Formats: sequence, structure tokens, C-alpha cells
Amino acid sequence: MVNLEIDRVSVRFALKGATVEAVNDVSLRIRPGECVALVGESGCGKTVLASALLGFLPGNAETSGSARLGDVDLLAASDHELATTIRGRQIGLIPQSPASHLTPVRTARSQLEEAARVLGGDALQAAERAGLLPEHLDRYPHELSGGMAQRVANALALVGDPWLLIADEPTTGLDRDLVDGLLDEFRRLVDDGHAVLLITHDLAAAHRIADRIAVMYAGRIVEVGPAHEVLDNAKHPYSRGLANALPERDFLPIPGQPPLLTDLPAGCAFAPRCEQATAICEDRPVLTDDPHAVACHRPC
Amino acid sequence: MADLLWRPAPRSRLTAASPPRSPRWRLLPSAIILAVVALVVLIVPLVVELNEQYVDLAIANQPPSAAHLFGTDELGRDVLLRCVYALRVSLTVGVVAALISALVGTAVGALAGSIGGWFDRILMRVVDAIASVPHLLLGIVIVAILRPSLSAVIISIALTHWLTAARIVRSEVLSLRTRPFIDAAIVGGASRLQVMTRHLLPNVAPQVLLATTLMVPHAVWHETALSFLGLGLPPHAASIGNMINDAQRSLLIGGWWMSLAPGLLLIITTLAVSGVSGVWRDRLNPKRRTELTW
Amino acid sequence: MLTANGVTAGYREPVITDVSLTVQPGRTVGLAGPSGSGKSTLARVLALLHKPFGGTVEIDGETVTGFRFQAVQRTRIGVLFQQPRLSVDPRFTLRQAIAEPLKNQDRVEELASLVMLTDDLLGRRPHEVSDGQLQRACLARALALNPRYLICDEMTTMLDASTTAALVGVIRAYQRESNAGVLAISHDATLLTRWADETVRLSAPRPR
Repeated sequence: MVNLEIDRVSVRFALKGATVEAVNDVSLRIRPGECVALVGESGCGKTVLASALLGFLPGNAETSGSARLGDVDLLAASDHELATTIRGRQIGLIPQSPASHLTPVRTARSQLEEAARVLGGDALQAAERAGLLPEHLDRYPHELSGGMAQRVANALALVGDPWLLIADEPTTGLDRDLVDGLLDEFRRLVDDGHAVLLITHDLAAAHRIADRIAVMYAGRIVEVGPAHEVLDNAKHPYSRGLANALPERDFLPIPGQPPLLTDLPAGCAFAPRCEQATAICEDRPVLTDDPHAVACHRPC
Repeated sequence: MADLLWRPAPRSRLTAASPPRSPRWRLLPSAIILAVVALVVLIVPLVVELNEQYVDLAIANQPPSAAHLFGTDELGRDVLLRCVYALRVSLTVGVVAALISALVGTAVGALAGSIGGWFDRILMRVVDAIASVPHLLLGIVIVAILRPSLSAVIISIALTHWLTAARIVRSEVLSLRTRPFIDAAIVGGASRLQVMTRHLLPNVAPQVLLATTLMVPHAVWHETALSFLGLGLPPHAASIGNMINDAQRSLLIGGWWMSLAPGLLLIITTLAVSGVSGVWRDRLNPKRRTELTW
Repeated sequence: MLTANGVTAGYREPVITDVSLTVQPGRTVGLAGPSGSGKSTLARVLALLHKPFGGTVEIDGETVTGFRFQAVQRTRIGVLFQQPRLSVDPRFTLRQAIAEPLKNQDRVEELASLVMLTDDLLGRRPHEVSDGQLQRACLARALALNPRYLICDEMTTMLDASTTAALVGVIRAYQRESNAGVLAISHDATLLTRWADETVRLSAPRPR
């Protein structure tokens, strides 16, 4: 069975006079039938990681490490290879705002059929799997409600029958009801044997559907483990702080601000904000090799 | 940790930093040509004076030679020197006319876009009406009313070419003024004038400047066309249009150089201007490449 | 008191019909409702940015007669929007953005420290900072003129839990000090239960 093996991936951008270290040494494995949530605040590098997997990095980016999907290394593959064998066929992208992702002048059906022609899938089957009724298909995007537009976008991602779906902040700006509906759809796809990589800043959403949560801070994964463990029994002070900041818990912020990605500290990037930091935190902690792994010298 | 092996990310057609159509290779040659033309046009007239009334029939109609690189015309005047002077006049007309049309266009577009409603609709119908008349025809009417002269030519070009700037500014202002940062400025106490000068105009300025430089070659050609038709500058004045007009007669006696020299200079200079501004346009916003014409 | 009396407002068609709402000084009113129910339209009317078709807005006993540029009372209100990225002029540095409403530039540092923005960040432009940092700058700008009322339209949508908690904390501290009234709009019911003193729901729009 094919897995996605992200192995020590780093991404940096060369700017004038500075290097942005957006993703640092990230390793993560995603299996079919599993939903992994990548959680972190905006600017922590999670979207950059997703772009790297899809070959959408801008020209000034450099990568190291590998992201293997079968025998293809997504970071080394040519654009042509990604376009003809990976995107849409093995990895589907679920966009942030479906309404703007759809062509306004064409019906849902014609867009799905075009994707099916290119990718060789079955448009109607994909629509059915995404929970669309046949009568929805003849509508134009402006005639679809937010939830329906999201389903059309999901169907588009499913046409080529990819086993991995990458959803980048899919819940932003949706009502709670729509969010719940969308997450339930994802859960159904996962139970069908798909894998979902959910990229989000919304801990509640991650908690609702993810099997595993990976918490990212300043370009690094600081903690990864079973969803309820990471949320209810966090080992890393950052994850713990993030969970406690939820309005249903303490609703208290983590003091301080994340470091600039152009100027990362040599040791633990969280140490300047951490109450438990000691001298040992000037060395960079390594992510442990457990089912519930943490990169911290003094885990909670 | 072992040293990381860095490699550039594969270029995607969708996110490539330089879009494939970007004519970046044009930048350097265009810039060099423009610099040379500008220097020649500015310096030569200081060194060599052109006597527009000068006639020396003894050396009339001479083909290019060492003494007269571009030959002489039917009155024995040096074609190269006249070309330099002519280009200076044409570029002056082009730059001044483009600036005036940008100013008029910005004013009209900003008013239409920021006031909106009926005012906008009436103003834009006026713009459509003017645009429906061929530029050259309208230009001829304006020159005919004002009598041919340098300022008449400039006014005629400016009055027929502000429409593009007006449309660009209006559509930019219309889209900018619905942005939340304008709302935030209003709640922060900004007046209509402050919103215009702090937010709207500075944000459309790059587009307007670009449209202005793209307008220069257009205006130069317009001047040439008016002069060629005998409606531009006085016949003895050195202007590209006048020179090409005069040269028509000489074509019959084999005087090809009299048409070729001013024609080539005109084409090369205007291509250089649009080459430079074209690269700038792509840098400014690749998504907008189709909105402005070359 | 900031009051909407029987407000009917919208763009071509009315989105909200005969809605009344009161924000008392020192209190936080939550406003919930599904998308399309007109939460943002009501926010824009109360921020004096959108002229309603009918009904009136009163602020501290004065009935508002003009909206947008004609609203003389508009500086008594601060506004925060959903998308910080669209809420700051892309040419401005964060420092310039915060300073914009101020006559006296000295207060920029004070406001920046209130929202925990460092000097280094103040020199950056919107595309060089994260959504969270940008929203902090927007909050500093909204507080610059010591508004009597603060209207937060889905302010936390783009923010992670910690930044949300931090900004709500800043707003509460300002409220304690100035006794300002806050209208908090969100689709997150959990957040509103925690943040607001009372929550009003707008119902879904009638199907046309």
C-alpha cells in the first residue's frame, strides 16, 4: 500500500539580504484511511509545506529532504511529471474558498466533466461521492450555496480518484454548521480509504476529525500524536498553550510572539516564550520516535 | 545535524516567477537605445545648430556618404541633423502630450470612480462618445480649430488620448474603494480628499505612470501622422512627419534615404520606449498584462 | 449607548429588515447568525459606513444623520474586519497603518506595545507579516482614537486560538479602562459564550 513519506523536508526562500526558513526538517507519514491535521498559527510554514508537496513553490524556493509517494519524490519530480501523474490523480487539492475556485461562467457539471476528460475519471461518480445530487450539477457557481460550492470543489478533487486529499484551511470563513458538514464529508472519505491532510489553524476542527494531529511551530513539527492525546494531554508547552487558549478552556493566550522565520534561534524556537525553559533549551530538541512524539527537552 | 543538500524547487508553470511571455530580453537593448537617443537628442542641438531656412542646391539629393551619413534632401540639407532635431520635437510632443493626457485622465477617472452613481455614468458615457470618434479625425478637427502649431498638436493629442488613463483609474478606484482599508480610514476620520490622496491615488499611480509611458510612442506616431497630413508643425520645421511628407516626392527620383532615415529612427525609438515599459508592466503585475495595449 | 432602531438595510435588496440592537457602554454584545443573515451589513450600519434604507442609528443619544464621510460621529467608533490582509493599505508599513488616524504620532509606540507588536514588525509591510500580526496592527489602529464603541466583524476568523485569546484580552483590558461598548460578531458560538455578556442571533434570511 502506498504511503506519503515526508522525510526531513526543509524549504527556504532566498530574499534580498535574508533567508526565510519556512519549513525545517519536517518528517511525517500519511497512510490511506487516515486523517492527519497539521495545526499551527498563520505564518508557521504549514501552507508552504503543502505547496511543496504539490510542486507549487515560487521560483526563489529551495528544498531539501524528500517526500516520497511510491517511487516518486515529489520534491524532485518535474512539473510535467507532477502534472501528468500526481496532481489530481494521486493527490487532490481542496481549496480554501471554493466559490472563487470555480469558473463562474460554467455549470458544475461542465467543470466536473472537463476534469474527468483530463484525468480519465468519472464525473458523476465523483459528484455522488461528494454528496451532490444530480439536480445540483446544472447550476452555475453563483446559484450554489456555500456548502454546495464546497461539495463541488470536493468532487473536483475526487474526479481523478486520488487517494490523498490536501485541504488547505478549508473551514476558514464558513459557518459552524457548514464546517461540521464539511468535516463529516472528510471523515466519510477517510473511512472510504482516502487519506486527508488537513491544514488548519482551527484546533476544534482538527479535534473533530483527525486521527493524528501534528503541531507546527516556526517551521518545525513540535509534537505529533493521536488527536485526543495531543489536545487533551499535550506534551509540548506550545501545544498545551494552544489547547488552553481555546474559548471552551482557559481562553488565555501564550505569552509572547513567534520568532521571525528569517531569524530563528539556534536552540528551541519556543524557548523564549516558554515558562519551563532552562539552559538545556539552547540546544535544539529532536522529535522523539514515539507514536506520541514531542520535540522538547522538558515535556509537560 | 548533517549539512542539508539544498536544491531549487522545480519550476511550476503555474507559479514561475517570470511568466513565459515576459519579454525581459528586451530590457537591455531597449534601455541602451533609449539612453543613446536621449543623449543625442539633448546634446547634438547644443553643438550643431540647424538653420531651418538653409538651402544649398549644389549638394541636393545626395545619397548617404561620409560627409552626410544619411545623405541630403532636395534642398541640400543634411538628413541626419534634421532627423535629430525632428526626433527632439517629436519626443517633446509625445512626452508632454502623454503627461497632459495622464493628468486629465486621472482627474476624470478618479472623480468618476470615487463619486460614482449618476456622475460616474454620465462621465463614462462622455468617454465612450469621444472614444467612438476616430482619434486622428478628432485630432484633425482640434488642430483645424486651433491653427497648426506645436501647442495645437500637443493639445490635440492630449485631448484625444486621456480616455485610456481615465478608464484605468476609474476601474482601479472602483475596486479599491470597496476594500476594508478604505472603510477603516473613513472610521478613522479621514475626509474624502484624504482617502483620495493617501490611499486611492498612490495605489493607482503605478498603473497611471505605466499607461503614460506606453502613451509616449502612441503620441509620437500621432504627431507624425498629423504632420504628414500637413496639419502638424509648419512645413519648414524639422519634424518626423514633415520629413517623411517631404521625402515622398524624392522617392520618385530614387531618394530612398530621405524616407528611410526618419522612418527607421521613429520605429526604433518607439519600440525602445514600449520595450522598457513592457518589462516594467510585467513586473508591476503579471496578471494585468492583457489590460494595456502595446 | 450605540443603538440601531428598526434598521432595514442592504445593497439592492434589503438584507436585514427592521432590526434593533443596543450596545451599552462597558458591555460586550455578541452577534451570531448563519452566513447571509446580514451580520456584516448590520455591523457596517452601526459603524456608520453604510446608509440604511430605513430606521435610525443613535450614538450616545445623538441620532446619526449622515453616513460614511458625512458621519461626524464616526471617530467614536472603532472597526475590525475579518480579513486583516485587506484591511491595511498594502503600501503602508504597520507603523504607518497604526499612525494613520493619529494627529500625534507619539502614541504609535504605546499602541503597538498594547497589542504586543515589536519595533521590527512595525517597519514591515502587510505582505511581510502573518495574519495574526496584521490583525494586531488593525486592533492598534482601531483603538488609536479611543473609540467609545468597538465593532469586531468576524475578527478572529483568520486567527489561531492563542492570537484570538490575546486580542480579546487586549479588547477587554481597553474596555475596563475606557468603559467602551463592544459588538462582537462571530459564527463561533463557543467564542461568543466566552467573550460576550449577551448574544443576539440574527435569523437566516427568508428564502426569496
